Amino acid sequence: MTGRAPMISRARRTGRVPRLVTGVVLLAVPLLLALAGPALVGDGTNRTRPFDQAGLLGTDFVGRDVTGQILLGGRSVVAVAAAATALAYLVGVPVGLFAALTRRRWLDEVLMRPLDLLLAVPSLLLLILLAAAAPRGPVTLVVIVAVIALPEIARITRAAALPLAHGPAMEAMRLYRETWWRRAVGYVARGIRRVLLADAGIRFIGAVYLVATASFLGIGVAPDAADWAVMVDRNRAGIFLQPWAVVVPAALLVALAVGVNLVTDHLLAARPEATK
Amino acid sequence: MSLTRYTVRRLLLGVGQVAGITTIVFVLTEALPGDAAVVIAGDQPDPERIALIREQLDLDQPPWQRYLDWLAGLLHGDFGVSLISQRPVLDMIVGSAAATVLLAAATLLVLVPLAIGLGMLAARREGGRLDRAISAVAVGLYAVPEFALAILLVAVFGVQLGWFPPTAVGTGPNLLAQPAVLVLPLLVLLARPICSLSRLTRAGMVDALRSEYVAHARRLGLGAGRRWLAHALPTAAAPVVQQLARTTDWLLGGVIVVEAVFVIPGLGTALVDAVAARDVPTVQGLCVIVAVTTVVVNLAADLVAFRLAPRTAGAR
Repeated sequence: MTGRAPMISRARRTGRVPRLVTGVVLLAVPLLLALAGPALVGDGTNRTRPFDQAGLLGTDFVGRDVTGQILLGGRSVVAVAAAATALAYLVGVPVGLFAALTRRRWLDEVLMRPLDLLLAVPSLLLLILLAAAAPRGPVTLVVIVAVIALPEIARITRAAALPLAHGPAMEAMRLYRETWWRRAVGYVARGIRRVLLADAGIRFIGAVYLVATASFLGIGVAPDAADWAVMVDRNRAGIFLQPWAVVVPAALLVALAVGVNLVTDHLLAARPEATK
Repeated sequence: MSLTRYTVRRLLLGVGQVAGITTIVFVLTEALPGDAAVVIAGDQPDPERIALIREQLDLDQPPWQRYLDWLAGLLHGDFGVSLISQRPVLDMIVGSAAATVLLAAATLLVLVPLAIGLGMLAARREGGRLDRAISAVAVGLYAVPEFALAILLVAVFGVQLGWFPPTAVGTGPNLLAQPAVLVLPLLVLLARPICSLSRLTRAGMVDALRSEYVAHARRLGLGAGRRWLAHALPTAAAPVVQQLARTTDWLLGGVIVVEAVFVIPGLGTALVDAVAARDVPTVQGLCVIVAVTTVVVNLAADLVAFRLAPRTAGAR
């Protein structure tokens, strides 16, 4: 850092507060709707005419109340994205850690090369193919999105763990005959937890994006599911009659994506030393 | 590492990737549920007809035999015949590629100068008002799903204001005949890549401008324009070029979605249709084309980046 650093960081901080507030507000609306919404609404089975103006936001393509559908529809996006991120970490971090810790070069190659291959396949292509081959359902979507996120996570874990795993402290621990578990989990995994936490926000954003796009393309969800992305797709035909059924869920998805991004960015910038 | 050695290593990796991807594609399409012979046989299939079709399609052969035959065919440019339309797959791909290539080319043409320009503008006064505004928008837009953005744009500019046509329905195969159709799809395709590229350009420029060699150029009395364009930009551009290649992945995903929203008959639509119809040879052909394109673009970008900044780019 140069001598200009304090001035820059002050200037940045003044710019960051409104950005954080915007982010929190943008994030809070869709997140609250997604989490609390299902509790506020009945089963939503009574149907009237499609694309009608009745009610707060009118009705959708099969005549269901749009307000109720919106209250129900955020849960699947948020839950699937969160579950997929968690699953990808559960598998990816041990793989990356193992590849970094091993002193056998071939084991490192065997673990990481197939993931490099996966990284070269465009993610939506992989998504469409995997989804077509597997039974439809939220579990399938979770697994697929996790598979797509896996290579990046393993690579980041490995890259972050490498300097620790082959540094002088590690040598010292070996000389003291510390167990493998204490060296791997107690020292290396603890040492990289900040990097992984910071990275998790970015992975979650990617998962939200993939889940929403997949649902929009009709992958892994029922065609009449109460899901913001599915609503955008199915109600598109009535955009001239009843725009709210399309615009509100689309706006909520945009708010969710922008909000998560702004908040993650703030968290990342707040601790530049810690994340290095 | 010399450029030749790097090229050879990178080429070998690319060949390995293509080989691996074709295998993945074959295995996945083999795993697609449903029997192609039953699909072709029509509404009320009788066993004899199914058996006949199966023999015609070589479906009675073991998978590894079909895999080798398929690979051999690919090497000769033979992608097989579509199960649905009975036309050669390659013809279909060439037919639908025009719209996609047009969209991608137009996007890149606008994207590259705009993103690099914005990044350099933001780097001009680090922490200034313009820098903060650009980076706030870039951070915010970065992960917005294309379809949601597309729908909002259609609702505002297509339906409410009526400035641009909301879909490309009725335009025909030649999209250039009605350029207004392209405006909204282009905006949607630009949104995501422009964020990552402008941020990378900004970060690269900030680093390069702080570096010793730019400071030295300044002491030698070189003008600001030379320092920025001839000395700082090439170093800053190396990661940008690599990221630009990675955006082919996004661009492709975006194209699939954008084609679905705006009803453009391109490769993305062809892929989604073929998967829905279980048209295995078409799916395989499309996937191979897309995957090979991705690998080749990444390869080219890595070589360019290596040429621009041998020390940093080669380390990846």
